Amino acid sequence: MKRTWVTVVNVIIMIAMLTFVVLYSNFESRDTTQRQIEHFENTTITMEHVTENYLEGEQRICDVWARYIDKNEMTIEEAISFIRLSHVLPNTSAHIVYQDTLSGLSTRARRDSSDEYAVSYERVDLLNDVAWISDIGASINISRSYTNPINGEQSIAFCNFITLIDPENGNPRKAILLRVLPVSELEQKWVFPQEEYESIELSMIDANGDYIIKGHSFKNSSFFEFYKSYNTIDSVSAQELFGKITSSTGSIAMQNSRGEECILAYTPVDATEGWALLSFMPIEGLKADTENWLLIGVVTAGLLILFVFDMAVMLNFNKKLQAAAREAATANKAKTDFLSTMSHDIRTPMNAIIGLTTIAEKNLGDTVSVGENLRKITLASNHLLTLINDILDISKVESGKLNLSPQTFSLVETVENLVNLSQPMIKEKNIEFRFRASRMEKEYLYADKLRLNQIYINILSNAIKYTEPGGRVSVDMHQEESQKAGCVRLTYTVSDTGIGMSPEFMATMYQPFSRQTDSRVNSIQGTGLGLAITKQMVDLMEGTIDCQSEQGKGTTFTVILDLPVADRQREDMLLEPMDVLIVDDDEVLLETAVDTLESLGVTADCAKSGLEALGMIMHRNKIGQDYRVVILDWKMPDIDGVETIRRIRTEINSSIPILLISAYDWSDIEDVAKEAGANGFVSKPLFRSTLYDKINELLGTEAKSVEPDNDYSDLQGMNILIAEDNDINWEIISTMLGMFGITTERAKNGRICVEKMDAAMEGTYDLIFMDIQMPEMNGLDATRNIRALSDPWASSIPIIAMTADAFSENVTECLNAGMNGHIAKPIDIKLVIKEIRRIKEEKRA
Amino acid sequence: MKKILCIVVVLCMALQLAACGGKTTEKTTDAEFKPSLDTKANCKITVVGSYDNFEALEAEFDRFNEFYPNVQLSYMKLDDYNNVLGTALESNDKPNVFFSYTWMMGNEKYASVCAHMEELSDPALALDIDCIRPGLINHDAEGRVLLAPVFSRTYGMLVNNDLFEKEGLSVPTTRTELMAVCEEFKNKGYASPMMGYSLKSNTSTFMNTIAYPLFVATLAENPEALEPANELDPATGEYTRPALEAVEQLIQNGCIDLAECDKIEDNYTKVILRFFEGDVPMMICPADTVSGTKKRESQSEAFSSAPFSYTFAPIPLTEDGGYFIDSPSVEFSVNKDCNDLDMTNEFMRFLITNKALNEMASVKRLVTPTTDLSFDSVYAPFGQVPADRTISPEVLGIKDPLAVQIRIAAFRVGVGEITVDEAVKMYGSFE
Repeated sequence: MKRTWVTVVNVIIMIAMLTFVVLYSNFESRDTTQRQIEHFENTTITMEHVTENYLEGEQRICDVWARYIDKNEMTIEEAISFIRLSHVLPNTSAHIVYQDTLSGLSTRARRDSSDEYAVSYERVDLLNDVAWISDIGASINISRSYTNPINGEQSIAFCNFITLIDPENGNPRKAILLRVLPVSELEQKWVFPQEEYESIELSMIDANGDYIIKGHSFKNSSFFEFYKSYNTIDSVSAQELFGKITSSTGSIAMQNSRGEECILAYTPVDATEGWALLSFMPIEGLKADTENWLLIGVVTAGLLILFVFDMAVMLNFNKKLQAAAREAATANKAKTDFLSTMSHDIRTPMNAIIGLTTIAEKNLGDTVSVGENLRKITLASNHLLTLINDILDISKVESGKLNLSPQTFSLVETVENLVNLSQPMIKEKNIEFRFRASRMEKEYLYADKLRLNQIYINILSNAIKYTEPGGRVSVDMHQEESQKAGCVRLTYTVSDTGIGMSPEFMATMYQPFSRQTDSRVNSIQGTGLGLAITKQMVDLMEGTIDCQSEQGKGTTFTVILDLPVADRQREDMLLEPMDVLIVDDDEVLLETAVDTLESLGVTADCAKSGLEALGMIMHRNKIGQDYRVVILDWKMPDIDGVETIRRIRTEINSSIPILLISAYDWSDIEDVAKEAGANGFVSKPLFRSTLYDKINELLGTEAKSVEPDNDYSDLQGMNILIAEDNDINWEIISTMLGMFGITTERAKNGRICVEKMDAAMEGTYDLIFMDIQMPEMNGLDATRNIRALSDPWASSIPIIAMTADAFSENVTECLNAGMNGHIAKPIDIKLVIKEIRRIKEEKRA
Repeated sequence: MKKILCIVVVLCMALQLAACGGKTTEKTTDAEFKPSLDTKANCKITVVGSYDNFEALEAEFDRFNEFYPNVQLSYMKLDDYNNVLGTALESNDKPNVFFSYTWMMGNEKYASVCAHMEELSDPALALDIDCIRPGLINHDAEGRVLLAPVFSRTYGMLVNNDLFEKEGLSVPTTRTELMAVCEEFKNKGYASPMMGYSLKSNTSTFMNTIAYPLFVATLAENPEALEPANELDPATGEYTRPALEAVEQLIQNGCIDLAECDKIEDNYTKVILRFFEGDVPMMICPADTVSGTKKRESQSEAFSSAPFSYTFAPIPLTEDGGYFIDSPSVEFSVNKDCNDLDMTNEFMRFLITNKALNEMASVKRLVTPTTDLSFDSVYAPFGQVPADRTISPEVLGIKDPLAVQIRIAAFRVGVGEITVDEAVKMYGSFE
C-alpha cells in the first residue's frame, strides 16, 4: 500500500474518531441543553405561578377597593379619599376616571403641580376599548405598560369598573378604577432566579403581542413585531406561532436583535385572557459547559501524536525498506550476475566429466585408460558436487552458519583433484603452470576435505582466471611442524602473473559477489563467492589467508592451516633399493623429488634436461648399471619428455621403465608418448605415495598399502532394509550393495519401513538405510517410530540416513531423530561400505 | 509529509471549530468611534419617543453595546408623548434621551421640556454636529444646538414604477406631464391616479403634502412675506394661493378621487398597504410614511404575491419639477438632569456620526440628515433634485403656526369645505 494511501486511511480514521467524539459530545451537549430547556420552561411556569399570585394579590386589592366604593355609593372625591387612606406603598397610586370622559382624579398630585389631582386618559390609548376589563373578581384586569399621565412613569394598572355617584345630580356614573404601579417597581420584584440563569429576561405580553411588561432585550413595542423583525417567518406561520405562544407552554429558538440564537420559553398567564409570560435568553446561557473540550482536546492531541508517531515510524520503516530494497536490488543484481556466470564454474567440472566419459567410451578396450578416466570423472564429479554445495552454502556463509565436517582424507588425492580440475583451463589459456610440493610428510589429515579442497580450488582457479595467456601460475605446498598438538601446518601458496588487484578492491574482496573489474578480464567469469567462502572457511578452520597483490604484476595468496594429522598414515612405504633418474628443468622440483624418492629407499639421480638425461642413461647403460626407473618431465626447454623417451628407446635401445610426468593434462599426448615408449604417466606434484604407487605399478610389484584389502567377505550375508521411494536410487544402492554380497529389501516409504520392522523376526536385518523425504511418512518420523517399537532388537537396529539433505543441520536432525549415521547423496559406495563396516565394528564392540 | 500534516492540522482545526456547535457572531467595530469612558461601566440609558417601534435605534444600541457591553439601552414609547414628555422628564424614571421637535422651541407649553435640553454644541461633548446638514440644525437665541436631527422629513409621492412601465408611461417630471399622465391613467381605467390620506386635518393629509412644499417655495421666492406669514398676518394669505390651487386642481381634474382616498383609514399603515395593492400609480405621502414600507412589504399579501418596483419622488407641481423640502423629522435631545449623563453623552457621541445616522436612516427608510446625503434607493429621485430646489424651512425661518395654517387650509379646500379664495382670506384664523 502506498504511503499516501496509508496516510489517507490514517487521516480518515482520525477524522472518523474525532467526528465521533465531537458528535457524541455535541449529542451530550444537546441532550443537556434539552434538559436545561425543559428546566427553563419549568422555571418559567413556576415564575408564571409566582406572577399569577402576585397579580391576583394586586388585583384583589383593587377588587376590594372597587367593591367598597360600589357598596358605599361614593362620589369620585370620596372614592379617591378612601383609596388615598388605603395606600401603603409610596410609589403606587390610584386613578379613577369616568368611563365617558376618560378623565377623573388621581390619589397623588401631578409632579409639576402639587395641588393638581386631575387625570385624563383621553389621549392615552388605554381605556378607549375596555373590553379587557371584567367584572369585579372575575379575572385579573391588568393594563399594558403605559405612561402614567400624572408622573410620566411607565406603569401598569389593575382595573375594575366601579359606579360612582355624580355629585352634581346624584346619579350613578360609570367609572374605572385603576390601581397604578410603576413598572420599575414591578421589575424589581419580578426577577428570574439569577443564580441559575444570569442573562434571562422576562416579559409579559397580551394577546396582541404588546408588552405588558418588557424586558430589556425585548425590542419593539410588540413581541410579535420583535420576532418578525429579526426572524424569517411567513404570515401564516407567524399567526400559528403567536397563537401557540399565547395559549400554550413551550419553548422556541429565535434570534434576538444581535443575531444571537436565543431560547424563548412561554407559558400562558392563566388568570388573564390571552396573556403570556415570556422568558428569553441567549441559548449560550443555557449551555452548561458540557462539551468536554478536555476530552476532545486530549483525543485530538493523542491522535495527532499517534499519527505523527506512526508517520515517523512509517517513514523510518520506509527508509529501512528502501535501504533493504536497494540492498535486495543490489543483491539481486549480483545474484543475477552470479547466476549468469555460474555456467562457467559448473561447466569446468562438467567438461572434465563429459570429456573423460567420451574418452572412456572410445577406449572401452583399454581398461587402464578407462579406469583412469573413470577415476578422473569421479574427482571431477566430486568437485562439481562441492561446487554445488558451495553455491548452496553461500547462504550459510552469509549467515555465518557454515559448519565443518572433518574426516580423514588423502592430501595427495586432494592435490590430484586440484591439478586435474585446473588442467583444462591451464591448457586452454596456455599458462605456464608449476606445482611444487615439498616436505609433505603427512599424507592423511583429519579435516573437512571438501572445504579444504574448496579453499585450494578457489584460490588456484582465481589465479588461473586472472592470469592472461602466456602467464605463469605457481603453486607451492609444504608441510611444517605446527604449534598445535597433533597437527601439521600446511602452507598453500599460489602466485600468478595476472592482473593483480587494486587496494580498493582488496579492502572488500572477501565480501560476497566481489569481483575485480578490469577491462582486460571482462570475459572472465566467476561467482564472486569464492573468496568470501574461502575466507569464511579459513577462519572456520582457524587458519590465515594472506594476499599480496600489485596491479599489473600479479597476486600471491597464502593460506596457512593447522590441520590434525589422521591416525592412519602410509608410514611403511619403502621401495626395494634401486637407482632412479628424475629429469626436470625445475630445480626445485628436482630437489624435492630426489628427497621424496630417497625417502622411499631408492637412489635418485637428477637431470635438468632431456639431453642431460640421455647422457646419463647412456652412461649407465654403458657401464651396465641401468636405472631401474626413469621419471621424465614432459615439458622441458631443449627436447621435451616425449622426444627424450623416443631417443632413449631408439638411440640407447633401452627398455628402462619410463614414467612421463607433467603438470598438465597428458591425454592429448598419451598416444604419442606411449608410441614413443612411455610406460606410464604421473602428475605433478610428485607426492611420496604417488611415486611409490606409480613405481610399484610400473615395476609390477604389488604396492603395500594400509588401504583395506578388496576383501569384502565380511559383508557377505548381510541383509539391509532400505527405505527409499525413488526407484532409480533403490536400484543403484541395491545393485551396488549386491556387488559386495549384501542382500537388500525395500520399503517404499517410512510407514512401510516401520511395518516391516515391526513384523520382522530378530536378526532379519542388520541395519537400515533410511531416505528422509518420502511420501506418507518421512525418514525422521519413521526412525522415531522404530525407536519406539517394543521389540528391543527392532528399536535398536542401526539406522543410517541416506539422503540428499546434505547440510550439517540435516545431519544433526537425523542424529537427533535417533539415527546412527548419515550418508549424503550422491552416494560414494566406498563411504557406504565404510559406514557399514563402522556399524559392524560398533555392534561387535 | 508537510502537506499531509498541514491537511491534518487544518482538518482538526475545522473539526474543532465545527465542534463548537455555536454560531459565532462577527463583531463589527466602528473605526471612527473610540470609547472615552470605562467600557465596563454598568448603567441604564433610556430613550423615549413617540414611535411605537424604533428598530433602527435598537440596532445602534446593539452596536454601542459592542463597546460598552454592560450599558443597558432601551427605547420606550411614551403614551400621549407631547403632553407627557414634560412630566416624564421630571419623573423618578427620567429618560436620558428624548424625541424633540423644532416646534417645541419657543413654545411656552414646552418650556420645561426645553429647559431639560442639554447643549449639544458644547465642545466638551465632542459631538460631530457638523456631520448633519446645516439646514436641518436649529440654533436657539443663544446660538446653542439643543436638538440633534436624526432623520429628515420631506414630502412627495410613492411611484409604482412597474405600473408606469406596464402602461407605457413615463414618471412625470413637470406639472404638465403630471396632468397628462393622470389623464392617461384615468383613460386606462384608474379611478384615482394619485391617492393619499384625506380624513383628518390634524395629521399628514395628502392635501398638506401637496400644499406645504409649494407654500414654502412661494415664501422662499418672496422673503419679505415670511415674517408676516409667520405672524399669521391675513394679508399674507395670498401667498398660499398657488399651493391651494394646486390641491384644488388635482382634485378637480380627477387626478385624485377624494372618495377613493377617504377609504384609507389612517395616514401610515393603510396608506402603505393601499399602495401595495399595486393599482395606485402615485401615492402622496410624507417620507415618514415611506419609512414603514420595507416592513410592510411582507405584510401585504398583494405585494408579496406581485411585488413591484417603487420609488419616492418629489411631486412635480411646477414646470421645473418638484421641491425637496428638507426639514428635520425626528430630533434627539439629551435630558441634562438624567442619571448617567456622561454615558448618555458618550452614546450621543457614538450616534451623531455619518455612519450611525446613515445606518439608522437606511434601516428606518428615512432620509438621512447627514451631509453626504446617503439615500436609500427608494429616495433616489430626491438625489436628482437640484440644489436651488432644495429648501430648508428651518433655514428659511418657517415657524410651526404657519405650517398649521397651510395644513388646515389645504385640507378644507381639498375636501371642498371652502374655496381657495376663502382660504386665502382666512389665513391666520385656522385652528
